[in-house]
Amino acid sequence: MRRLLRLGVLGLGKMGVLHLRNSRHLPNARVISVADASKRALKRARKFGIKETYLDYRDLLERSDVDAVIITLPNFLHKESIFATAETGRHIFVEKPLALSSKDCRDIRLKVESCGVHLMVGHNYRFFECVQKVKKLYDEGVVGDVEIATLELVLNGPFAPSVRPVPVSEWYFDKEKLGMGCLDSGVHLIDLFQWFFGAPSVLFASLGYRFNLPYEDSVVAVLQSKTHKTRGVINVGWFSKMIFPRFDFRIILHGTNGFISTDHFVPQNLYLHAMKEASKNLVRRLLGGRLHPLTYTYYYASYYEEIRHFCKAIEEDRKPEVGAKDAETIANTIEQIYRIAQVQANHLKE
Amino acid sequence: MSDKANYRVSLVKTRNPDGEGIKDAVFEAIDLCDFKWDSKAKKVVIKPNLCYYWDSSTGETTDKRVVAAVIDFVRERISPDCEISIVETDASAMKIKYAYRMLGYEDLAEEKHITLVNGSKEDIMEKEACVNGKSCRLRFPTSLFNSDLIINVPKLKVGPFASGKALHITCALKNLYGCIAVPKKVVYHSNIDEVIVAVNKMVKPHLTLVDGIVAKGKHPCKLNLIMAGTNGVCVDYVASQIMGYNPFNVSHLRLAIKEGVTNFNGVKVVGEKLEEFRKEFPKVNNFMFKWSWKLQFSLLNLYAKITGDTIPPAVE
Repeated sequence: MRRLLRLGVLGLGKMGVLHLRNSRHLPNARVISVADASKRALKRARKFGIKETYLDYRDLLERSDVDAVIITLPNFLHKESIFATAETGRHIFVEKPLALSSKDCRDIRLKVESCGVHLMVGHNYRFFECVQKVKKLYDEGVVGDVEIATLELVLNGPFAPSVRPVPVSEWYFDKEKLGMGCLDSGVHLIDLFQWFFGAPSVLFASLGYRFNLPYEDSVVAVLQSKTHKTRGVINVGWFSKMIFPRFDFRIILHGTNGFISTDHFVPQNLYLHAMKEASKNLVRRLLGGRLHPLTYTYYYASYYEEIRHFCKAIEEDRKPEVGAKDAETIANTIEQIYRIAQVQANHLKE
Repeated sequence: MSDKANYRVSLVKTRNPDGEGIKDAVFEAIDLCDFKWDSKAKKVVIKPNLCYYWDSSTGETTDKRVVAAVIDFVRERISPDCEISIVETDASAMKIKYAYRMLGYEDLAEEKHITLVNGSKEDIMEKEACVNGKSCRLRFPTSLFNSDLIINVPKLKVGPFASGKALHITCALKNLYGCIAVPKKVVYHSNIDEVIVAVNKMVKPHLTLVDGIVAKGKHPCKLNLIMAGTNGVCVDYVASQIMGYNPFNVSHLRLAIKEGVTNFNGVKVVGEKLEEFRKEFPKVNNFMFKWSWKLQFSLLNLYAKITGDTIPPAVE
């Protein structure tokens, strides 16, 4: 019988709890320990059956017998926690963005390489069913050469309300700690662009500040692939009152042989889709089969799929998708976007 | 409407909401509603509806342009020397210091030389009122009671109350619920009607000016409406009709009348016709809302219990 991969979770915010819950359905791994600065969060984790809980993640790394860790700490703690984890020889799954600058991403890449551990960044959009279908059709050449691509993601970012009302964490209002504004969500679109067409250069960028935050709440950017001729328009925002289960995300590829969009593969009636997928899972349960977690939500399922991919890669001792190198390219692109937007804003002032 | 109506509620349509239209409409609505002010008033408190970080174009929060017009009214008609404060409190999921910044109130305060007050952080005083024979003690920012004039500036909207368990109109009476200094107002959800009425027995605005520029029913709608009245019960009586409700079926309004929050004797609507706005307002089916919400949650929880599947953080 194969041994289960033992996981630790550092940080039990929304994402940490989601991964903790999803991990119960993994075929080859279990979360055995968690760390969070909040006693309340640890108490909650114990209700999930986690026996090893730590207030300081360093204690978890020192004492726990984990093989890999899932880091869902605030962005500004990614670098130090990755360094600490890599030094103990554990493999790492970290929520996006990898770090606050391309330099930090590079440092992390060198660190994990020197420590010989695998690192995966949580770009779950690659695991959306609709994205994978579009990617497959693109790879098969169905739309021909893609001249223009549009990638859009507009939501309310950290300001999404939940049924259980909890204030938005303070660090989301601090640019130093967050590292960026709505590009914190835009990293997904840049990642998808590079996944489809290779590393990009930035041709144009414009930032919006509707909500007077210390960071941008909307971005329009034009990217160009360094290896293809494809240009891509990135539209990303944190200004919309988008409430679950509505979701404003799409990729449209305009090629020499027609176009495809992720919208073609998104359920038209989300409620009907939820009923259908829930019924399938009920049948799987009745027949003793394995559950397909969160498929009833259509997009939350990607969070399970990315962790499953990570655990499988670790088990097979191969590199998982979206490593530190990809994250470094994304961070470089973001820095270019800020630079070019500043130049263009100055130009407009003149 | 009753011939014996003792309060006026004015309805004014903003003709040019992107220019001076809002200011003109606010002045006209106040003039029409018979508002008599104390010319010696020095301290003025304005209470908008800033329930979350949503933009006013979603129909959820008071448009700062409406508040700006109210400030202009106070300065031009009452006294240029009035000390004006905007008072709002933290909510269960919202910190007012960030809402002030995000919704443009910090800029407004700088431009109009007014003060922004976080009612959850300043001096607090406790008040008591009796509703349905039960005593209700609540804490409020002291500044509310140290003022000479309180102007309530609610939004015209229908929203879920009490963690989505019920649907209510949110206008004059409900907006004052936001005066409670305690951030975790979620604790009052189990008896929200009584708490709204208790607050309205304790806090008595002199004027209610409703922002219906973008109203919210089933979805946001540009009604371009400004309403004004000196009595919150009467304003809600008219607002509920605009939103397609029988006022006597709105539980907190019915309770407020029963509890004698005001000497209610009907309302006289002046200005535009109520029917024009009622036709435009995107009505919400109360029954469907309540049951679809309950049904969705019950089914989701049942499904998760049977299968062990994960519930997403947003609806946990």
